[in-house]
Formats: sequence, C-alpha cells, structure tokens
Amino acid sequence: MGKDECKTMLDALNKVTACYRHLVIALGSTSDSQNLREELKKTRKKAQELAVANRTKLTSLLKDKSISKEDRAEYERLWVLFSSSMELLEVDMKRSLEIGQDFPIKVPTRHFIQTGMTGSTTTVAARAMSVQNMKYEADSNIDTVDLRELQSEITQVTQMMEEMEMKVQVAPWAVEAKQEAGAELKSNMSVGNSSVGVISICEEEPKEEEGGGSRDSGIASVCAVFVFVVILASAGILGYLVVNMS
Amino acid sequence: MTIRNTLQDHGQRYRPRMASLKKSEKVLLEMQDPKTGLKSQPQRLVITTIPHAITGEDIIAWLADRFQVNTQEARSFGSMLVAFGYIYPLQDHKRLVIKPDASLYRFQTPYFWPTQLLPVEDTDYAIYLAKRNIRKKGILEMHEQEHYNRLHKWMNHKWDFIVMQAKEQYRAAKERKKPDRVVFDCQERAYWVVHRPPPGTVSAMDYGLDRQIDPNSDEAATPDFYERIMIFTQQSIMRPRVKSSVSIGALVKYCATYNNHDPFLSNCLPSNPWITDDVTFWTLNMPCVEIPTKMRVERWTFSFAELLSDTRGRDDFRLFLKKEFSGENLAFWEACEDLKWGKAASIKEKAEHIYKTFLARGAPRWINIDGKTMEVTVKGLKHPHRYVLDPAQTHIYMLMKKDSYGRYQKSPVFKDTVKKAICPDEHRFSGPQLEQNYKKRRPSLSPIILRQMEQEQRAKMAANIDITQLCRFTTPVPHLAVYSGFTDYPTATASPSLTFLAHTPACPSPISVGLDSTSVSERRVEEAEGDGNPAARAPVGGNVSRSRMALSLRRLLKGGCTPATMFASLSPKCHSAAGTSSRIQPIGPDQPSQAPPRRIGNFFQIKVDIPPECRIYPIESEDEEEESRAAFRGGVGAKEIICPWESLTTHNGTG
Repeated sequence: MGKDECKTMLDALNKVTACYRHLVIALGSTSDSQNLREELKKTRKKAQELAVANRTKLTSLLKDKSISKEDRAEYERLWVLFSSSMELLEVDMKRSLEIGQDFPIKVPTRHFIQTGMTGSTTTVAARAMSVQNMKYEADSNIDTVDLRELQSEITQVTQMMEEMEMKVQVAPWAVEAKQEAGAELKSNMSVGNSSVGVISICEEEPKEEEGGGSRDSGIASVCAVFVFVVILASAGILGYLVVNMS
Repeated sequence: MTIRNTLQDHGQRYRPRMASLKKSEKVLLEMQDPKTGLKSQPQRLVITTIPHAITGEDIIAWLADRFQVNTQEARSFGSMLVAFGYIYPLQDHKRLVIKPDASLYRFQTPYFWPTQLLPVEDTDYAIYLAKRNIRKKGILEMHEQEHYNRLHKWMNHKWDFIVMQAKEQYRAAKERKKPDRVVFDCQERAYWVVHRPPPGTVSAMDYGLDRQIDPNSDEAATPDFYERIMIFTQQSIMRPRVKSSVSIGALVKYCATYNNHDPFLSNCLPSNPWITDDVTFWTLNMPCVEIPTKMRVERWTFSFAELLSDTRGRDDFRLFLKKEFSGENLAFWEACEDLKWGKAASIKEKAEHIYKTFLARGAPRWINIDGKTMEVTVKGLKHPHRYVLDPAQTHIYMLMKKDSYGRYQKSPVFKDTVKKAICPDEHRFSGPQLEQNYKKRRPSLSPIILRQMEQEQRAKMAANIDITQLCRFTTPVPHLAVYSGFTDYPTATASPSLTFLAHTPACPSPISVGLDSTSVSERRVEEAEGDGNPAARAPVGGNVSRSRMALSLRRLLKGGCTPATMFASLSPKCHSAAGTSSRIQPIGPDQPSQAPPRRIGNFFQIKVDIPPECRIYPIESEDEEEESRAAFRGGVGAKEIICPWESLTTHNGTG
C-alpha cells in the first residue's frame, strides 16, 4: 500500500537525519577525521536520495484528488513529518558546511577542539547507511572537494523545499499528531533503557545514580547482613550447646 | 499554500550583532594548541575515564597570561566564555560561571557553539526534552516539564516528528562507545542550559529585539531615496550641537545620580523579583501605594520630571499644591497631557473644556500665563490639534518647576513623606526557598484590568469634589475628570491685559535647556511692566517664594480689589494663606489705575462668586463674603464663558 511504503521511507529518512545530526555534532572535535568527512558525505547522499523519493511519492499521493478524508489527513501528517525532517537536514547541512570550512583536516596549525570525544563514529554511519561495516575509499582532499559539493547541495535542498511549499497545499498547523505527550516513553526500547541508566554523566549525576542504586542495594545489603547475623547467631547457639554438651 | 517562515532570517544582519562570538571562537582555537594552549587532564568517573577536562584555575591563569591582564579580568572573561557556552562546567552545570579552583570544565563541540546565523529552534528543544524524558524515564525537572507541556501544546502538529526523531537520535547515540555517550549527553545538556536557561538565570544569548529591516540590503537609487538623504542631511545641519564636554558631563552626572537606583547595577531592596521570584519589590513600588520607599522618594528630588512621572510623587505634589492653593497648575498640566495622549476624536471636546476651565476669563480654575502665550493658544484653539496647548503647558511646567518644586522640597508635606518612607530589608533566600518562590509565581494583573482600575479611580476622584464647592450646574464629565479632581481656588480675574510675564515664546518642550534664563526674563519683565504697578511688584531677584507671591499679588491687584477687601477676606479664610500673606510687601497706595474689574480676582479667597446663569462649572465656597459679592455685582453680571471661536459677539471686548 502506498501508505506503508511512505511510512517505511519516512522512517528511513528519519533515521538518516538523526544519524546525520550525530555526525555533524562530532565535526570539529577530536573525534573528527577524514573518515568522518566521508561518512558525512555518504550519509548526506543517502539522505538526499531518500528525500527525493519521499517527495515524489508524497506529492503524487497528495495530488490525487480521489482519496478519502482520513487518507488525506494521514498523508498530510506524513507530509508534515517529511517537511520537518527536511528542515532539520537543511539546518544540519548548513552547519556542517560552516564547521567544515572552519576546521580543515590537513592543516597542521589548525587543531581540533578537545571535547573529550575520542571514539569514532563508524557505527553511527553504519546505522545510517544500513550496512554492517563502513568502507572508506575517499582521497585525502575530501574536505575541500566535498565542501564545494555541499554548497551546491544545500542550494538544491533549499530550492526543493521552496518548491514543495509552493506546490503542495498542506496547512501544517492543521495536522493533529497521533502521539500524545510522553509517547516516547512507551517504546520497545526496554533493552536499551537499563544499560544507559547506569551510566553517570558527570560528577553530580553519579551521586544521583548511586543514591538510587544504593537505595536498592541498601535493602539488599540489609537483608544480607540480617541473614548473616541470623546464621552467626544460630552457629553461636549451636556451638554453645555443643560446648555445653561436651 | 504553506507559510513557512515569513520573516526572512538573514542571521546577523537582522539581529544586533554580537561581535564577541567570533572573537571568542578565535580564543577558543588558541586554547587548543598542544604547545601553547591549555593543559587538560582526564576526568575520572565511576566506570569511565574521559579525557580533556580542564580546571577553572588553569583557564584563568592561561587567559591572564595570554592577554596580560589581571586575574579579576581574566576571571570575568572566563565567565563570559562559560556563559556563552564555549566551555561548560562539569560540576554544577546550571551555574555558568568560572570558579577559580580545581573545578572541571570541558570545551564544547563546534556544533553547539552559539551562533546568530541560525536561530535556536523550539523543535530542537522539544526533541531534546523528549530524549531526556526517555533517559530519565519520565522524570523531568520542573521547568523542563513546563517547557515540555507548553511545546506539546503549541507544536502539536509536529509532535509525531518530534517523538520519532527523539527515538532515532537516542538510538543513534547508543551506537557510540560509553565515554563518548557520556560526553555527548553533557554537551547537549550544557547547550540547552545556555539557550533555555533554568529559572533564576538569564541566557547570555539574550540580545533584545530583532530588527525589522535588513540594514545591509541594497536600496535602489530612486529620486525618493536621494530626497530622503537630502532631508536627513538638512535636518542634521540644523540640529543644535552640544560640546562633548557638556554631553559627557551630563552622562557622567546621570550615571552618578542613578547608579544606586539601577536594579542591574546595584542591589534593589528587598530583592530583585526577576532573580529571586519574590514580588515584594513590585508591591512596595506600586503607583498608588500609601507609603513609598526611600529610594523612590529620593528619586523625586533628582528632577521635577521624575517627580511628575511617578504617580505617587505626583499625588504628593498635588497635595502640597492644594495646601498652597495653586493646584490648578498641575491640573492644567495634566489636562494638557490628557489631550496630547488621548483619542483624536475627543480632542475638540477636551480642548473646549480646558479652555473653559482654565484659560478663559472668569474660568473657575484660571491659570496664570502671559498674554502672548494666551494669544497664541486661543488662536490655536480655533482649530484644535494635539499640541495646541503646548506653549501654555510648557509655561506652566516651567512655572511649577522653578517655583513650586523648590518649595515642595522644603515643605512639611514632603518632609513628612520622607520621614514616613520605608526602607525594606534585604531578602536572603536559601536554595530551597528560591525553589519555593519559583513554584509560587503567578502572573500579574492583566493590563486591561489595571486600566479599568485607573479609570475607576479617576472617576472617583472626579466625583469626590467637595459638594459645597459645587454649584447645582456642575456635572463632572468622567473622561475629563482627570483634572477636575481637586477643585482648587479659582482666581477669576477679569483683567484683559494679561501682561504678567513676558514669556520667551514657544519653548517647545518643558525640558528645553534655554529656560535657564527665566529668572532673567522675569527681571526683564519687571522692567517692562514699569508702567504697571511698581509697588505691587515684589522684586523677583532670586527669591522664588516671593516671586510667587508677587504673581498672585499682581493678579490680585489687577483684579483691583481694595486692600481692605483683600485683607478682610484673607483673615477668616485660610490661615496658611494668611501666614504667607505676611510675606507680601506692603501694598502701596497707588492702586491699579486700570479699568474697574469685571469680576473680583481675589486670590486668597476660597470662593468665587459667579452668577448662577453662568454655563460653566462654577465652584462656590462655603461662606460668601459681602464685599466680594457686592464688588462682583458691580461688574458685568451674567457673563457666560463661551469659547471665543464659538461666537464673535462675546469676544474679548474689554474695557
């Protein structure tokens, strides 16, 4: 069905947008590198492909006059999703251009910002590209070459968005969201929650986490101590009886 | 057709440019140099070790060394960097200051640097809050919860996107290793502390209002464009220039005077409501409070404009003028303000009313302005507009300023107010108390309600006229009641020649500088009036109070009452007036040889006798004196006050 296709494509676009944002955040910091630039380029290309595909699909769906009202409302909602994704992408692309220009890789006098991030972003990019491992094949002057491409791509995206606004008549404020407040909590992410919860952010939060943990562990330790005391007491009584007996 | 963002945002060109951002970035980059930059150390957390943490004292030392400044300045520079978000604290993340000890900081990634090119979107903040919601399993901080609810309401149409994006970003973040995840969380949190400050703090990125036009846009060279340039240059040539020594001196004086009264530069007592969320300061300084604060009263002594602009001060001044029987000046001034700032439709009506009440001959609350101004005003009133009463208003303003203001400051009314003024103690709130205050904040009264209250109060004041002083024809008009509140002592003089003070005409604003010469002009006037009453004139000199008496005296004598009448009317009436009358110079025998008065202008008398046929709002007082009534009947009776532009027959044809 057209709707499901749309949804999967939108999900993919959403994922790529999120990953792209993560990659741009790492730009200019100590986890920056040539690989990151290449990852950025690849993710961007994928995002653009997805964007174009989404746009054609959605415009064709919306232009169809013969759809029902609920369908139309649904398509409008999807359209709002799509345009918000595109806005984020556009902003991130502009930022990456700006930061990329400020932090060229090969210049020895230019040092990256020591942000504390040292790991690589390969996994994020792999997630974006939906591949297991990323292959890096770019040459050394990727940053300068890429930036020029990036500029043209930004203009393309801006144009596309303006076109979209003109051609498609959707009032974004009229769309009603399906999710209510706090919907992000109801997710199938139980695997992830607990592991992240343990990590302490900064020196303040360890106290909070430890406080919470210690409450549980306190109860456990109290129980353990109690059991220990009971065992000791019974051992003592038995020993006393034994001694007395003998 | 969707409307995305009608305000074309060209970034810095529209907003006030923050040049400090670009400069700070350069400094940041210098700090990264492995040889000459800051030395970092690893931060040890429970499980992980994260590199690149720097101590506060290191930062300050480096800045002091790099810029060759003292520690204090390096410290404030460092605080600025932290406040902008270039460096964020690892402990105590909500307080964006630099501490000169071993507390740790870290550099922010360039993506999260503050920039004016792209605005900070609420969508991003909503996504961040949703992510935080996931991480904290639904337990957000109070202000975050408030923001969340508000954004959910206003960005409802995007909410699906926000939730989806939040989940995806959360999953993407988990792809990284643990230390990087921690760092990323810290970074994002620090970013939002800068751009959505928690309660009790301000964001350093607050730049005020946006500009509406792009100052760098190219303008087409049309004839209109050049015409505007020409007009601008012509006007700037004609502008009066002030020497920089004078203007800088004025600035310095202003700063010195107002330094202690500025709530940003010095502590405002009891506490600044914007910082501590406690509104005592505002309740103590309400416009119509009974007992003002000491600081407020001190401000009244700075200048006359300060006194008038403060409602409470104006009330005090009005009370003082009432005691001095010259309240019509303030009433007239207020009436003019009302005219200037009121609705255009009511201008004609108000102007007429003002004329009838204050300016016409025989008006119940006649004010004392010189002939030339009166001429100009009356002529202008034929075609009234907003600023028609400006010359008269300026004259009265300067009169009050030079004359009454000085006496007010020495008066018992003011001294009493000063004594009663309160000086509240400073609040000292602890952390939990501040949180309490934050929870208890409520919005203030709506301005609509405030305006209604104001109008009710005015109507009450209007209705509060002493009944014995009203004649049966009086009907207070509510919207014009602002100046008929206190009915003061009418001085209806009949004299046509109002050559009291040769007023240097057309001072455009009460604040204009050129009126330093008023005393000089007064003296000049004295000479000009040589043919008038020589003995009646009290030498103006520098004696403000005596000139005041002189004015009233002149008015009296132009009214032409005999000294006997005057003194007779003096004694039983106002003892205060009698007291002041002792300062009057003895009146010589050469009484005014002017035309017999139409009406008695008896300044010290409370009442005025106007025949009941009069159409204006006559104000009678309790006891009527025989002499005045007799003298009055001698004049032209049954004369209505009709605006001169209304009918030509009753124009100023005086004898």
